[in-house]
Amino acid sequence: MSLSSALSIAQSSLQTTSRQTAVVSRNVADASNPDYARRIVHVVSTDPGARAAQIQRATNDQLFRQNLGALSAWAGQSALYDGLDQLDLAVNGVDNASSASAAIGDLQQALQLYATSPSNQNLGTAVIDAARQVVRSLNDGTDAIQKFRTDTDGQIATAVGELNGLLAQFKDANTAVVSGSRSGTDVSDALDQRDALLKKIAEYVPVSTVTRADNDMVITTADGTTLFETIPRSVSFQPQAGYTAGVQGNAVYIDNVPLAAGTGGNTDAGGKLAGLVQLRDGVTGTMQAQLDEIARGLITAFAETAPAQPNAAGLFTWSGAPAIPAAGTLVNGLAGQIRINSAMDPSAGGDVTLLRDGGANGAAYMANTTGGASYADLLIAYGNKLNEPMAFSPAAGINASVSVSAYSASAIGWFEGVRKQASTAADAKEALSTRTAEALSNKTGVNVDTELSLLLDLEHTYQASARILTSVNQMLDSLMEAVR
Amino acid sequence: MKTTAVSSAAISNAMRYSQSRMQVDLVKAQKEMDTGRVADVGLALGSRTTQSITFARDLDRLNGIVDSNALVTSRLSSTQDALGQLTDAAQALLGAMATASSGDMTDAVARDSGKAALQSLTAILNTSVNGEYLFAGTNTDVKPINDFTAAGSPAKAALDAAFLARFGFTQTDPAAANVTAADMDNFITNDVMPQFFGSGWQANWSNATGQQIVSRIALNETTETSITANNDGVKKLAMAAAMVNDFFSSSTLSSEAKRTAASRALSLAGEAVSDLGQTQSQAGLIQKRVSDATDRMNTQVDLFKKHILDIEGVDPYEAANRVNDLMSHIQTSFALTARIQQLSLLNFLT
Repeated sequence: MSLSSALSIAQSSLQTTSRQTAVVSRNVADASNPDYARRIVHVVSTDPGARAAQIQRATNDQLFRQNLGALSAWAGQSALYDGLDQLDLAVNGVDNASSASAAIGDLQQALQLYATSPSNQNLGTAVIDAARQVVRSLNDGTDAIQKFRTDTDGQIATAVGELNGLLAQFKDANTAVVSGSRSGTDVSDALDQRDALLKKIAEYVPVSTVTRADNDMVITTADGTTLFETIPRSVSFQPQAGYTAGVQGNAVYIDNVPLAAGTGGNTDAGGKLAGLVQLRDGVTGTMQAQLDEIARGLITAFAETAPAQPNAAGLFTWSGAPAIPAAGTLVNGLAGQIRINSAMDPSAGGDVTLLRDGGANGAAYMANTTGGASYADLLIAYGNKLNEPMAFSPAAGINASVSVSAYSASAIGWFEGVRKQASTAADAKEALSTRTAEALSNKTGVNVDTELSLLLDLEHTYQASARILTSVNQMLDSLMEAVR
Repeated sequence: MKTTAVSSAAISNAMRYSQSRMQVDLVKAQKEMDTGRVADVGLALGSRTTQSITFARDLDRLNGIVDSNALVTSRLSSTQDALGQLTDAAQALLGAMATASSGDMTDAVARDSGKAALQSLTAILNTSVNGEYLFAGTNTDVKPINDFTAAGSPAKAALDAAFLARFGFTQTDPAAANVTAADMDNFITNDVMPQFFGSGWQANWSNATGQQIVSRIALNETTETSITANNDGVKKLAMAAAMVNDFFSSSTLSSEAKRTAASRALSLAGEAVSDLGQTQSQAGLIQKRVSDATDRMNTQVDLFKKHILDIEGVDPYEAANRVNDLMSHIQTSFALTARIQQLSLLNFLT
C-alpha cells in the first residue's frame, strides 16, 4: 500500500459516486413517469478500490403480468359500459322517456279516453298521434341502434389501425433491446419503452408474453394467437359502410384467426376490441330483436279480424301488409318498417273512425255494423289485446309469453340488468387495474425521499473522498518539502 | 437500499383515484337528496327496472281511467236526471187520464195533456251532453226520437193510415162517431200496439240503437254505461201520449171510443211510471258500479305510488348524511394531500 494507491482509490470512489449521483438524478427526474422503472447501481469492490459494476433495472414480472391482465379486462369492460350508457340515452332517453314502453303507455291512455267518448273525433286523432309516437320511438330506436353499430364498427377499424401502429413500434423497441443485450450495453431505456408499449397493446387485446434469449419478446393473445414474433403479425378488419337489423359485422382477424367477442354484462372480453365487437353484434343485436318483437306485437294486437277472413294489419302496418307477421317469429328490422296505417291517419287523408268501426281492409272487416258513433267495443278490445299474453320469439332473449305492453317494459329491464352488471364490473375492474398499477409502481417505481437520502450518503462519500485527496496531497507536499 | 415500500407516483395516484371516486359519489348523493329518488334507476335496480316501469305505467293508466270515469259519471247522472223528468211527465199524463177516462175532461184539455207529454218526452229523450245524445244507444250523433207533433211526422202518418185501414174512414170523418168502445179496444190492441212494440217503433219513432255504450271503468272491467230510448217505459209513455193527442183532437170520434183510449192510456202511463222507475234503478246500479270502481282505483293509485316509492325512493336523511360524510372525507383528503406534499425530505435539506 502506498500513498499513490490511496490516491487512486479515492479517485475511483469519486468516479463511482458521480456515476451513482447521475443515476439518482435520473431516478428523481422520472419519478412521476408511470412507465419508468427505478435503476439501481450495484457497487462491486475490486482489489485496487471500488467501482460501479452495472446498472440494474427494478422489475417484477408477476405484478407486471397481473397489471397487463387487469388493464385488458378493464379496457374491455369500460368499452362495453360506455357503449351501453350511450345506447341507453339514444334508444330509451333520459329516465326512459322516449322508450317504446312509455309510448305504449301513452297510447293505452289515449285509447281509453277515445273508448269513453268514441263519437269525439279529436280523441280519435289523439290516439293516432299517440300511435305515431310509438312508431317514432321504434323507428328512431332502430335508427339509433344501427347508427351506433356503424359508429362502433368505425371505432373497431380505428382501434385495429392503432394496434397495428403499436405493434410496429414494438418491433423497433424489441430490436433495440435485443441488439443492446447482445452487445452488452445498458438497455434499461429500451426496456422501459417496450413495457410501456406492451401496456398500451394490452388495452386493445389481452396479451401473454414469453421472453427468449437476448431479451427477445414474443407476444401472443390470451387464446394463443401469435401477435408478435420477431415481426408483428397483421391485425386485419374490414369495416362496413352501414348496418341494418340482423346483419352481423365482420370479425377482427389477428394473424388470420378471428377474435372472439365478449359475452355477458360482466363481460369476459379482454381488451377494447373484444368489448367493441360484443357491443356491435351482441347487445345491440338483442336490443334490436326486442324492438322488432315489440313492433310485431303491436301489429298483431291491432290487427283487424273478421270471421272467415285472414287477420289483416290495422292501426299499425308494415311492408308485408295487409298480412300480419307470423306468430312467435322474429322479423328482422320490423321496428324500422312499422308505420301508421294511412287509411286511419287524418294527416294522410285517412279516416280515424276506421279505427273505431273497423274496415280499414275492406267492408268485410267492419265491426260496427249498426254504424253508431259511440261504438266502443272494438276500441276496448284493442286496449285489452295490449294486455293479453302473446308468444314472442325466444331469439330476443326475454321470457316468451307476456303481453306486448309488459314485453316493452321487460325489454328495458333486460337492458338495465346488463347495464347494471357492466357498471358494477367496470367499477371492480377499474379498481383492480388501479390497484395492480399501484402495486407495480410500489415495486418498481421511484420514491423521491429514498433517492434524496441516498443522495445524502453519496454527498458524504464524495466529501470524504475529496478530503482524502487533499490529505494525500498535503502528505505528498510535506514529503516533497522534506526532500527539497 | 434495494426496495421501496411505496413509490412517489403511487402516493399521488392513489390520492387522485380516491378523490375522483368520492366526487362521483358526491354528485350522485346530491342528486338523490334533491329528487328523493335513486340517481340512476337503471343502475340501481338492474332487471327490476321492469317493475318500476310497469308500476309507473299502470299508475298513469289508472289515473286515466279515473278521469274517463268522471265523464261516464256525468253522462249517467244526466241520464238519471232525464229519467226523473220522464217519470214526472208520465205522472202528469196519468193524472190527466184518470179524469179523462171518466169523461170529466174536455177534449181540448185531454188532447193538450197528451201533446204536452209527447213534447216533453221528445225534448228529454233528445237531450245531449258533450255533443252526444244521451238516449241514442251507440248512435249518439243522431237525435234518438222523432217528434210526433211535427208536420209530416211518419209516426202520425202511420197511426192515421192504420185507423183508415181498420175502419175504412179517417178519425175526422163523421162516420167515426159510430166507432164503439169494443172497436176501439180491438184497434188499439191489434193495430196500435205493433207500431210501438213491433217494427213500427224503429221505423217511425226511434233512431236509437238497442246496443248500449260500453265503457271500461276499471283496468279489467267493462260495463254498459248508457240507457237507450228503446225501452218499454219510453214506448208505453209515447203510445199513451200519442193516442190521447191523436184521438182527442178528433171532434167526430165517438166519446165512448175516446174514453176507451183514455183508459188504455191511463193503464199504459201507469206501467210507464213503474218501468221508468226500474230503468232509473238500473242506471243507479251502473252509477254505483262506476263510483265503486273509481274508489277502488284511487286506493290502487295510492298503493302503486307507495310501491314506486319503495322501489326507487331514497331516504332523504340518509342521502343528506351521505353528502355530509363525503364532503368531510373530501376535505380530509385535501388536507392530507397538502400535508403529504409538505412531507418531503427536500424541505429538510439545506
